[in-house]
Order: sequence, then structure tokens, then C-alpha cells
Amino acid sequence: MRIATPQQLNRLQQECQARLDRQERKLLVCCGPGCLANGAQKVSDELKKVIEKNRLKGFSVEALKETGCHGFCEQGPLVVVEPSGTFYTRVKVRDVEEIIDQTIRKQEIVERLLYADPATGKKIANYREIPFYSKQQRIALRNIGQINQCDIDEYVAVGGYQSLAKVLTTMSRQAVIDEVTTSGLRGRGGAGFPAGRKWATCAKADDYPHYVICNGDEGDPGAFMDRAIMEGDPHSVLEGIIIAAYAVGAHEGYIYVREEYPLAVVNLQKAIQQAHEYGFLGENMLGSEFSFDVHVSRGGGAFVCGESSALMKSVAGEVGEPRAKYVRSVLKGLFDKPTVLNNVESYANVPVIIDKGGKWFSGIGTRKSTGTKAFSLVGRVRNTGLIEVPMGTTLREIIYGIGGGIQNDRPFKAVQTGGPSGGCLPESKLDLPVDFDSLTEAGSMMGSGGMIVLDDHTCVVDLAKYFLAFLVDESCGKCTPCREGLYQLHALAVAVSEGRATEADIEKMERLSDTVVLGSLCGLGKSGPNPFLSTVRYFRDEYLTHIKDKRCPAGVCRALIRYEVDAQKCDGCMACIAACAQHAITGKKKELHAINQDTCDRCGACLAVCQRDAILVI
Amino acid sequence: MTHDLGKLPEIYARYPKTPQSLIAVLQDIQKEFHFLPCEALKQTADELKVPLSKVFSVSTFYNAFSLHPRGEKVVRVCVGTTCHIRGAKQIQEQLENHLKIKAGETTKDLKFTLEVVACVGACAMAPVVAVNDEFHGGVTVAGCRKLAMTDKKPGKKGKKG
Amino acid sequence: MVSLTINGKVVCAEEGEMVLTVTRREGIDIPALCHHEAVEPFGACRLCLVEITKKEWNGWTNYVTACLYPVEEGLIVQTHSSKVNELRRTILDLMLARCPNSPEVRQLAADHGVTQTAYEEMPDADNCILCGLCTRVCERLGFNAISTVGRGHHKVVAAPLKEAPPDCVGCLSCAQVCPTNVIKYEDDGDQRRIWGRTFELITCKQCGKYTITREFAEALHTQRDIPLDYFDLCDECHRKELSLKMGSIVNWSREAAS
Repeated sequence: MRIATPQQLNRLQQECQARLDRQERKLLVCCGPGCLANGAQKVSDELKKVIEKNRLKGFSVEALKETGCHGFCEQGPLVVVEPSGTFYTRVKVRDVEEIIDQTIRKQEIVERLLYADPATGKKIANYREIPFYSKQQRIALRNIGQINQCDIDEYVAVGGYQSLAKVLTTMSRQAVIDEVTTSGLRGRGGAGFPAGRKWATCAKADDYPHYVICNGDEGDPGAFMDRAIMEGDPHSVLEGIIIAAYAVGAHEGYIYVREEYPLAVVNLQKAIQQAHEYGFLGENMLGSEFSFDVHVSRGGGAFVCGESSALMKSVAGEVGEPRAKYVRSVLKGLFDKPTVLNNVESYANVPVIIDKGGKWFSGIGTRKSTGTKAFSLVGRVRNTGLIEVPMGTTLREIIYGIGGGIQNDRPFKAVQTGGPSGGCLPESKLDLPVDFDSLTEAGSMMGSGGMIVLDDHTCVVDLAKYFLAFLVDESCGKCTPCREGLYQLHALAVAVSEGRATEADIEKMERLSDTVVLGSLCGLGKSGPNPFLSTVRYFRDEYLTHIKDKRCPAGVCRALIRYEVDAQKCDGCMACIAACAQHAITGKKKELHAINQDTCDRCGACLAVCQRDAILVI
Repeated sequence: MTHDLGKLPEIYARYPKTPQSLIAVLQDIQKEFHFLPCEALKQTADELKVPLSKVFSVSTFYNAFSLHPRGEKVVRVCVGTTCHIRGAKQIQEQLENHLKIKAGETTKDLKFTLEVVACVGACAMAPVVAVNDEFHGGVTVAGCRKLAMTDKKPGKKGKKG
Repeated sequence: MVSLTINGKVVCAEEGEMVLTVTRREGIDIPALCHHEAVEPFGACRLCLVEITKKEWNGWTNYVTACLYPVEEGLIVQTHSSKVNELRRTILDLMLARCPNSPEVRQLAADHGVTQTAYEEMPDADNCILCGLCTRVCERLGFNAISTVGRGHHKVVAAPLKEAPPDCVGCLSCAQVCPTNVIKYEDDGDQRRIWGRTFELITCKQCGKYTITREFAEALHTQRDIPLDYFDLCDECHRKELSLKMGSIVNWSREAAS
């Protein structure tokens, strides 16, 4: 059924809302990336089975919704009952009968499944009162976890496509650009370029056709915000893209999704099909003269394709080698035509900006970094998950206020932000506001939103080595400084981690980094040395300890540590013997075990399996 | 080894016959045959009117493609940053030990391929291992043995994550 | 017309020209190994990096490859500032680590003060600096016989499927543009061998010299509408024939005039 006017859309919204209202209560099962990897699908299937079996009055299987990422991944699998907000954590298949019986049938709470405040032990029933949630402001993530993933009717019910209708029927292209410019929206992929300015430049370009592209190649390891949005609320992205296309005069667009996100591809393709059925895509949308179509373009698996010119080569079916951007892609982009490329999260913000106004949006966050930002808060933090906070929130508020501090009360060491292009910031920088500019001055960057918390068990030399290895593998290989320079930087980092380096090598690495930063062709190379530069800036002593003392203080670098069995604690359970791939541990059941230092390769498997804390790292 | 390339016309029919379709076509071929047979590359070059050298270039540039047959089960160890600091390297080594192959290799009986992948976006459940389309979060060293043998859960299993 | 400053001297340039074209015109020597007039600039080797600034940039400078940077009004360019020299030196040092046995790389590095690499030499190194000229020229000619294979540090130039390339016509353009003479070929009588293929060379009907391969001739005939019998003569014999023809025209017109 095509929706041809705003009035028809309003009627559709009312119908969809009414259908939702038929269910007095809803059961939301989080099927976000974390919970899915934690068994959420089985929980959902069991819930459906039990609901159908029980034929409860006033509660059908339609009330169960598989939603996108609710955010609190650490506590998953999550099941939420609305409208009460009852929040069940770590739900297993065996808990399902009880949930249906107690909560759905008898309207009582299953206490043991509730979240408990780690400081007081007090149970909190309504998730809205849990600090992890109450301190967030969800704009880009507004619908995720609340509606059925990829169900256009639910999206319409909560006001979806109203912004598109407003744009197509009451706003000129320039008015849309002005609204986005007023909002101060800056690219959420990490570069932070003002979206309004980009759209204005493209709209004015006198070379046709124009294109819009959505960058869904979320390559930063540790980041899954875009994945959650593409899977959990694909229509918000779609609506944003269509509005952008209208503003810049594009009739064709692409959503580039990385190869490692097959579910995002499926959900976006479904969303596109649904949008076509309602006439939100295609010819003369919503009765206007504007026509637009969008396709999903799958990446082939290459981190460099997150770079805009490489991405466009990949959309064109070629190898993802970037080109120098002295002529910007907004003028010569896809197929050498004017192209607007924005990130998933940027587009997800657009419908809200149109609805509530650019001025409203600019009132959130800081003057130069308006609005909110989604982060994947992961690593050694207590509350890992997906969050969204106003720009300008400090690292401390995020890591301690929302993140709950460090797991096992271990000392905080650093927070790694911005992926392989970013860096590590130490405790002294925790009061920095998170925005586009403050972290960059300190030697890191906000980037796309990956925020990895590290404790004293992380070695910064190992981390720098890790990132450099990643970048060497992902470098496209076109230009000398990146291809050769990062390779040599990595070789030197390996030497440091193996105790073979000298102090002069650190200076050599710093000089080489300068060449790679200034000489590389694209952002991957230019920011490649950052993981090394930021760690050596704040943790130079740790590098020097590796070099002078041939010691790894964090107990990570294998060449500089050894494992020994603690005679006081070992109970001879043989778990370590079973785990050791080198067969380096000997000992009989219930007798003290011993590690052969010649054959032990310090892989750490024994440490991981020992339940008695009986493996010492020296 | 010969492969029945009869499926190729059906794959080509899904997309416009232009160079732009190359990556999508190769992905479908990869999914169908678990790798890219040489003959398929040649036919694709003809079909999409792309020079064979460019088809080969694209096949060897991207991580998704393999020119050698992959196993029935592709075990991918996530080595993203969060998984790395939560012990992905140990998981990888344990799996290498159980499967008796290194990452990037396939067992001789073509039952398993072991690979590393940099971030599948399930970071909150690090360390993560994917076996074909199934994602396992919170994988432990002890649990790797089961992963290497059957579909049984070593950590907590989820679908199509 | 655009006016810019290069090493302190104000020069003029056409709109759309690249800085490298202008510096060459001014006789300034900047190495640019991946650059060739026959193909679009690529920006891969990064040796032609120059320092740029503008008055309104308030002291901020940028480093760009001259081959790809279009001239701008008021641009101030330094081709051999101490920073640029340092960058160039380090890049050559890295190249030397990759290709320690290449006489051309060794010479160019030595010219910039690098006689021994400070980095780890690549084991089993060949002399390919991955400038991409061979593949780009082959593409430009429409043959696309070879391409880059793989990605990153293990990228190489090769024929598809690492077999003898079916699209190669034996024109030798790749070998001729290679700055480090990596691509080997062998002309042996009327046989040419390159990339594992063997080609037959056409003989000039006049002087018996070997000219080009039959496959190249056929490709030029197809692509450029050159009649196939054009290749019956070598370039020199063509010139002789042409000069005879021109001579007879001049004689005829003299006779007609007198």
C-alpha cells in the first residue's frame, strides 16, 4: 500500500500505534550483537514457545519483540517488560517458564533475575532507574531496544517517516540544509566534518548525477555502534539517507556495509523493501516530485574501505585503494561525481533534527560538538555495552558513572579511544570532555566511538604492537610511508616487546612516525603511528622498562615473563596440564605441578584455566 | 579438484552485468563453493566484462575471498582490540593446537578452516569465536576443545550475530 | 593563469596544472618514481612531497605530493626545505630496506645521503618498489594483462592466477616504464618472451628488422584502426618511404611552378 500524502501517513501511524496498543504489555528480548553471541535467540525462541503453549489471556506472542541492542551487554541476555520497565538480566532458557508464569501471568517480579547495584547490592526493577541508563541521552539509539528490529510498522508507529513527509511536502532543499547546518551536526564516523557544509557543497556542484553514500564499514575493532543501529533501527538510517538525498539532489544512493556484518545487510535489505512497499522509496515519494532509490553494497573485508575514497572504489567493484583527496570527494566522488558520504550514526540523527529542529539539537552537547554520541564501552570496565551521552561528557563520567568503574576493582591504566587511529589516555586525562577536539589535543581522538578501558594487566607496548600489526595487515599497500613505514614500526615494536631494542630505537620510531604521519597518502597511514605515539607519550617509562630492565610490568610480553607454579596454592588438579599445548607442565593428580621453562612458550593458557590462582607471572 | 560450475549462471543473473557487481558476485561464488575456483574467476571476467587481471586483483585484495577451498566449518577467532585484551591470542593458539593447523589454514579432510578476523562487533562478549554463522561469546581456554570438535557450546552461544 | 611562489620565486601556471609540472618547467629536480606523462598521477612513491603554505594559513604548513596537487593562486611551495629533505630521505631509506639490491634505488638513496638502510631489510627482496607504473600503463593501453595482487606489504605485481597472462600482447611498455628495471624480457630472433608468454615478432618486409609482436599489431589495428599492412615496414623504413614520397612531391611542385 503506497502512502501518497502526509495525511495517509498520519492515518497509518495511528493504525500502527493502535495495533501496538492492543498489547497492554510488551516483552522485549534484546537481540543485539552482544546478547546474540550470548544465546539470546534461544531465549527468544523458548519464550515464544511457552507463550503459545500457555495461551495467556491478554498476552499473545505478538507482544514479544526481538529488538536491537538494549545497551547493557554485560548483563545480557536481556529481557525487558514494558511499560513497567522490569529489567531481567542474564536470562537463560531455563528461566523462561518462571518469567512467563510469575511476571506475565501473575504480574510479579522474579527477584533473582533483577540487576543489583554493585555497591549496595540493592535490586533495581525498572531499568530506567539504573545509572547505566539514567545517565544516557539516546537520540541516534532512540528506538533501539524498544521496537521490533526491522519492522516498518513499529517504526512508523513511533513517528517514523514523519520527518521525511515534512521535508518532501513543506521544506525546500536549502531549508533542509540550513536546518542541518544550524544543528551543528558533525560527522559521527570520526572525522567530524560539519554535515551541513558537506551537503551544501554537494548540492551546489554543477556536475550530475549526485550520489549519497552511507558508510557502514565500521572497521575499528572494539566499535559496534553502527552495527547496532543498522541491525536494530535500519529505518532511521534509511530515513536520514533519503532526507540527505533530497537536500543534495541525489536520486541514487548506496549503503556500504562491511562483510563481517551479514545480519546488518539482511535487515537493511528488508527495510529497503518495506520502504518501497509504502512508497517511501522509489518514484514520486509521498506524492512529491522526488524520486530516490538506495542499494546495499557489501564490503569485501578490508579496514581501509572505511576511508571514503577507498569505499567508493569498492562500491564501484574495484580494489579499495584510496586516492589523494586534494580534490574532495564531495565534488569528485563515486564514479567521479559529487557525492555526500556520511556515517550510519550521522544519518540516524537527521530525522530527529528535522523533527525537533536544528536549534534544539545544537542546544545539546557543547558549542563546537553538538548533540550526542554513541559509544561502545568495552574492555575491563564493569558495565560493558552500548551507550549514548551528550558530547562534552567527561571520560570519568562515562567510565565510572555509567561504566561502573574497573572490573575486579583493579587499577585503571588507560582508555583507548578512536580505534587504530586513536590512542591511549591515562588517568590524568579522565576529566577531559569527550568531543571532536579535546581528545585530539591530548594525543588520541574520539573517532567513531570505540572506548576500550584498560587495567594494569594490559601492556601498552603489546597494545601498540597489536595495533601496528593490524594496520600492517590492513594497509592497502599503495604508498611507501604506510606500507613500509608501519611495517618497520611494527618490527621495532616487536623488538621492544622482546627486550631486543635500545633506547635509540624509541627515538628512531618517533622519527619514523613523523614521516609516516606527514608522508602517507590517506588517513590510515597518517594516523597509523598514533597508537605508538600516544602510548610512548604517556607511558614512556613502560617502554624503557622493557628496554633497560627487560621486564614487562603488566606481565604480558611473552619473551620477558615466565610462569611458575605457586607451591602454596597448587592443589594438583591437572587443569593446566590439560590446557598446555606445549606439554610443558608435569605433575600427578593431587601433587604439586611444575612448569618446564625450556618448553613453556608463555601462552597463558594455564593461567586462564587455573581455579586456584596458583600460576605466578614473574 | 573439479567443481560443478553449473550454479554460476544463476549467480550472474542476480546482478546487473557490469563491473560494479564484481564484489557481490564474487561473494556469492565464495558462499556457494566455499572459495573462488579459477574457472569461476575466468567466467566472471567474461560475464561482467572485467579484465581477468582486475578480477584476480579484487579476489586477492579482500579478506572475504579465498582462492583455496575452505572447510565445512570456518572457525573465525575475533582478534579485535577488546578480544585481544581478553585473551584472543590464547584462544587462537588453543584452537590451532586442537585442530592441528595454523590460522589461515584448512584441515586436510576439509572439515575445518581456522581464521582470525578483526572485530565482528560483539565486543561486549569478548573473546568471541564464530563458527560459520554462529557466534560464541565469552569463549574460554577450556572450552576451545569442544569448539574444535562439534557445535557444542564452549562459552555461550548465539545465532547469526 | 595562476601565480604561485616556488622556493621563493614567483612563477605563473595554467589553472589545472599540477605543481610537479611547474617545478619541472622551472628546472627544479624532484624525484618522482611513480610518475609518467603517459598515465594519470598516482601519488604512491611519495618522493615528490613538497611543503606548502599560504599567507592566510597563518604559518600552518602541509605536505603534499607535487604530482597530484593542483596549482592555486597564492600557493607558497618549498621543494627542498629541511623537513621535506628529511621526509624524502626517510622514504628512500624505507625503499632501500625493501629493495636493497636495486642499483637505481641505491643510487637515488645515496644522492639523498642514505647509503645504508637503518631498517630491517626485506628477505628475498626483488627490486619492485610497487610504483604501479607497469600496471597503469598496461591499463592505459587497454590490455590490462597484469595487475597488483594481494594487499599491503605482501602486495606484488603479477599476471592473473600467476599464470601466463592471456591479455598480454608483448608490447614491452611495462618493462620500459619500470624505474627499477624489474620486468625482464628476452628477444631472441623472431621470438619474444615476457611474463611467461612467447610471442612472434613481425619482420620488416624492407630491411628484415624485427619490429613488434603480431599480437600487438593486431591490437593496434583493432583499437586504433591502423591498417594491418602498416606493420609490414619498421619505423625507419616508413620514414625512408615517407621522405621519398615528400621529396617527389616537392620535385613535382617545383617542376609545376617553373
